[in-house]
Amino acid sequence: MLEIKNLHVKLEEEDKQILKGVDLTVEDGKVHAIMGPNGSGKSTLSYVLSGRGGYEVTEGSAVLDGQDLLELEPEERAAAGLFLAFQYPVEIPGVGNMTFLRTAVNAQRKARGEEEMSAAEFLKQVRARAKELKIDAEMLKRPVNVGFSGGEKKRNEILQMAMLEPKMCILDETDSGLDVDAMKLVADGVNALRASGRAFLVITHYQRLLDHIQPDFVHIMADGRIVKSGGPELALEVEHNGYADILAEVA
Amino acid sequence: MIHLGKNTKSRIVSKGISAGHAQNTYRGLVTMHPKARNGRNYTQCDSLLIGGNCGAHTVPYIEVRNNSARVEHEATTSKVDEDQLFYCRSRGMDEEEAVALVVNGFCKDVLQALPMEFAMEAQQLVAISLEGSVG
Repeated sequence: MLEIKNLHVKLEEEDKQILKGVDLTVEDGKVHAIMGPNGSGKSTLSYVLSGRGGYEVTEGSAVLDGQDLLELEPEERAAAGLFLAFQYPVEIPGVGNMTFLRTAVNAQRKARGEEEMSAAEFLKQVRARAKELKIDAEMLKRPVNVGFSGGEKKRNEILQMAMLEPKMCILDETDSGLDVDAMKLVADGVNALRASGRAFLVITHYQRLLDHIQPDFVHIMADGRIVKSGGPELALEVEHNGYADILAEVA
Repeated sequence: MIHLGKNTKSRIVSKGISAGHAQNTYRGLVTMHPKARNGRNYTQCDSLLIGGNCGAHTVPYIEVRNNSARVEHEATTSKVDEDQLFYCRSRGMDEEEAVALVVNGFCKDVLQALPMEFAMEAQQLVAISLEGSVG
């Protein structure tokens, strides 16, 4: 589904190389987790894939289902089925959460040449999915992320993901700032979306989220590269021994 | 806004939007006459900047001729930031749609006070006048 090859990325503003040759293939229906110490380039990877400005790809490629992602605008990537759950969801004052969702859903449909979702159908779907995430009607009316608690923001990201039905979901430290219950809710939301035809890339610092979202593969990222890959046991190893051992081993 | 009678109240909400090389100025006079005892006015001026070459200015005039009146003024200036636009775009909206959404959110207080048909028209007008103002 997603194929990243030898991806090199530097900051546009200064001459600082962040990603130094990332290779990663995420197969259809699988959940891959990326772990790694601070500053290893995990978030940069997610931003580059989704098309945020400020980064320059100097080498390598990223392909989603045969489409070269790096050539597309952010909205074209979204329409192609890429979704990024933000580490820090952005506030948009005055724009109702529902309005935002509906605009997004219909924009993607339009870009794919599909018909717009009717207001009734949209309402029905939002209500059903919001309920699963314990998002109440009042939160749907409030402006996007304004005054939301950390947990509400992250649940809202998962709601957007559920409504947009992307093929490739990237979760950037979706567990940060969540208490145990909220983490469970978010994980349940993600698990409910696991399906063939959809893959996940979960970026996290801690093993805890991976207790709830069982990954098929775990990758350790350090200094702009994936230095070690393995099964779920690799996450446990990190939890017990920290990154130092692994980094020393591959150095 | 001219207050003549006692216990009169008024509220002014101004939303200014500047894009490109535009300069936008709010200039408003609030007068409390001697007989407007306990008169109250609240004025709110919000300005939104799109891009780095525009500006917004707020010049409130206040004339109070009795000592029981209360006149308040508040002003804010904010910018449509890259993060907001990127957030919208990562959800599938194109750049113009994203700007229109953020800007409409900004003037929502004013637009929602308008009658329905007019509000819809105003919203579309905002979207049209912003066409080509970014990127």
